[in-house]
Amino acid sequence: MKKLLALVLATTLTAASLAGCGGGASNDAPAAATEASGGGTAAAAPAAADGSLQLAVTTGDGSTSDDRIPTPWYNRILATNLMFRGLFLADSTLTEVEPDLAETYEVSDDGLVYTITLKDGLKWSDGEAITVDDVQWSIETALEAAQINSIYTAAFKAIDSIATDGNTITLTLAEPYAAMLDVLAQFAILPKHSLENADPLKLESDPFWTAPVTSGMYALDELNVGNYFTLKVNENYEGQAPKIEKVTCYFVSDYVTAAQAGNTDYVYGNAADLVEALQGMDNFSAHEVDVLFYKYFIFNMKGIDGNENPAMQNVEVRKAIIEAIDRATLATLYPTANVLNSGVPNSDEAYNGFEYTFDAEKAKADIAASGYDMSRTLKICYYNNDQTSIDLINTVVYYLQQIGLTVEATLSNDGTTDLFTTRDYDIGFKGKSSFSIDEWYTEYMSTDGLFANIFGGDTSFDALVADLSKAVDKEDRNAVLTELQALEQEKVYKVPVFTVGTYVFTSNRVNIPEGVEFCNPLYMCDLDFENWELAQ
Amino acid sequence: MLKFIIKKLLMMIPMLLLISFIVYFGLQMTGIDPINFMVSPEMLSANKENVEALRESLGLNDPLIIQYFRWLGNCLRGDLGYSFDGSSIASIIKVRLPYTFELAGYSLVLSAIIGIGIGIISAVRQNGVIDYVGRVLAVLGQAVPQFLVGIILIQIFSIKLGWFPSANRVSPDATNAFVDAFVHLFLPVLTLTIGMVAVLMRYARNTMLDVLNSDYIKTARSKGIPEWKVYLKHGFRNAMKPVLVILVFRIPMLVGGSVVIESVFSYPGIGLTMTNAIVSGDYPIVLVTTLIIAAAMLICSFMVDVFNALLDPRVRLGE
Repeated sequence: MKKLLALVLATTLTAASLAGCGGGASNDAPAAATEASGGGTAAAAPAAADGSLQLAVTTGDGSTSDDRIPTPWYNRILATNLMFRGLFLADSTLTEVEPDLAETYEVSDDGLVYTITLKDGLKWSDGEAITVDDVQWSIETALEAAQINSIYTAAFKAIDSIATDGNTITLTLAEPYAAMLDVLAQFAILPKHSLENADPLKLESDPFWTAPVTSGMYALDELNVGNYFTLKVNENYEGQAPKIEKVTCYFVSDYVTAAQAGNTDYVYGNAADLVEALQGMDNFSAHEVDVLFYKYFIFNMKGIDGNENPAMQNVEVRKAIIEAIDRATLATLYPTANVLNSGVPNSDEAYNGFEYTFDAEKAKADIAASGYDMSRTLKICYYNNDQTSIDLINTVVYYLQQIGLTVEATLSNDGTTDLFTTRDYDIGFKGKSSFSIDEWYTEYMSTDGLFANIFGGDTSFDALVADLSKAVDKEDRNAVLTELQALEQEKVYKVPVFTVGTYVFTSNRVNIPEGVEFCNPLYMCDLDFENWELAQ
Repeated sequence: MLKFIIKKLLMMIPMLLLISFIVYFGLQMTGIDPINFMVSPEMLSANKENVEALRESLGLNDPLIIQYFRWLGNCLRGDLGYSFDGSSIASIIKVRLPYTFELAGYSLVLSAIIGIGIGIISAVRQNGVIDYVGRVLAVLGQAVPQFLVGIILIQIFSIKLGWFPSANRVSPDATNAFVDAFVHLFLPVLTLTIGMVAVLMRYARNTMLDVLNSDYIKTARSKGIPEWKVYLKHGFRNAMKPVLVILVFRIPMLVGGSVVIESVFSYPGIGLTMTNAIVSGDYPIVLVTTLIIAAAMLICSFMVDVFNALLDPRVRLGE
């Protein structure tokens, strides 16, 4: 029996020894990432011995499948930005653009005609020419697609006709659309010759995404379902070739673990636990990015079916509820959060200066004076199940209890259904990552597929929101925004709490050129990626 | 015997149908609308027509009972259908199930060797050092949740030591497939094994102790049979029958347990697929994967019955 025991122990030890030496190609840690210093922690970084940049694509939130490449028409993550380009390329503000696939462009004085000429000799990664037909097909297909970022459909609906002539495409708009160039800078042109037979409603599940044809500086090298995909330099890319020759994108459940284990050189996010964990790692650098990620309350007022929530009809009740909540304190739950009082950030020149003040005593008096039935239970519905959101809601419940309300908060598994269909709540808490301020105000439109169900299809915002999308001139735009702010502060249908700043973290394995400014990581901007290098 | 096997197999069919029915309607009763996971709220706001067309094309506007029988009919014809994101479920299963079987298989073998081995030694050396250590470890192994064990192992072996990857099953540019498989499987297999070793060890120890205290063991010893022969030939063989039953019954638990472990390790098996499908409200995948686990459970139950019948003549077949 002793021999048997010895055998078992020997086997275990051998296995452990083999494990220690058996990292192979994937587990030799690069020196740069393994050296710990200072008080923080450093990842062991077992991967990337092959000298590739490593990215992580999370599948944990259910939004991305690990059996294909993510489509660039929904969110623009770095991995897809390296593969797909648009007609233009934005700067970090996402509002200044320069030609990318386009060579030149011209916008008519009335803002209705966009004449865009493509560069000569553009090619897809399979060698086919990139043509204006691809551009036209992409725009027209985007309007039929189901899973696509709404900034594209909102912009492209304004296009009345598309004409092509040689290497030039002309977009004629029915009415001006101020952000058209900004949107075109985000919109990835896809290859018509590969996708023209795909069902636009299910475009993202087309087999194309397992072996995509690309226009960017990288092409797909290998997709290993459930594990990773690798990118190689696109030989048909006409621009400066990137210095990093290979990119490996791992499908992971959790960004933090991936970063700690050295499976990614690039992480982004705004969740407090993620930011705290990454900031504690010596081998990652943080880049703070100011994005329009709104966290806000919505009031369940009235459906377009006429079914209204009597308790929230009085605007004085809604104002008193907001008055009872110390939003500045709530903002401290996030690493970077800026309290705001309308869809326009306080730092924006169009901000009208109004403030929702925190005054519990006044709130208590106001809600009593409003005739609100204090014996009823005020229902809060929220759907983010991260600890920070839960803490925030618990704090809100506490504030409201302090003014004598009985409050019940419910965490929803399906926020969209519960907030806009079931509607068994008084106050909803939600988030929205916006491309621009316009998106915030679009939610007030009586035609909005979701918000019309809680704002009763109120048409009072419609004309102003339409004016905002047309306002090309800055003065005009600010004037419209001033009116919109006044209206939303009068109606109090939804109240912003704060915008949450996002962080991009890059590992010290990567040398990023000086002057690079990161933008909202869910969009695309010029990161001078061709000059990124891996540390030796 | 044949009649017994056929009867047991036929009984599985209504069981699976019932399970599929319960799971299908149970999922529907959660009130989760899969469209909300497929399409962003902004898109739902802005493009109602396209979203409605998508809903129609997926058959989500049909009554539940029609959706269920359509799905069932397709399954019976061998068409497992498509996930809501358009992937063929058959191809998903084809790629993912072997990964899970691989994980469960290694865990089963390892835990059987280690658990039964230590259990036997503990019984033979009752109240010895190995017995005490083994019993403490068994309690710990059963008390600590597997996902926590997994996270601790990742923290130590992936993050602190950098010996093993924390995720996935395959590395790009792996030069040696065996080594690549070993490093990726080590931590998840170890995690599953730890929990299972604890159960097997305790069970093997207790049954072995019962057997060693039996009269026929005393008789064997009184005949002067060497002690190792008493343990192995008379003790071990008889003690292993109930342990074998427990072992077979652990197989579906391993497959089911991999749901958590695969998520912790981003291991691309059927468990991770199921977790992601639950998160994204992808009912077709949840249904098929649940049925696979249920089928595994029924098959193992069937195997236990057959083993029992073969090993124990007192079990009357077909009665």
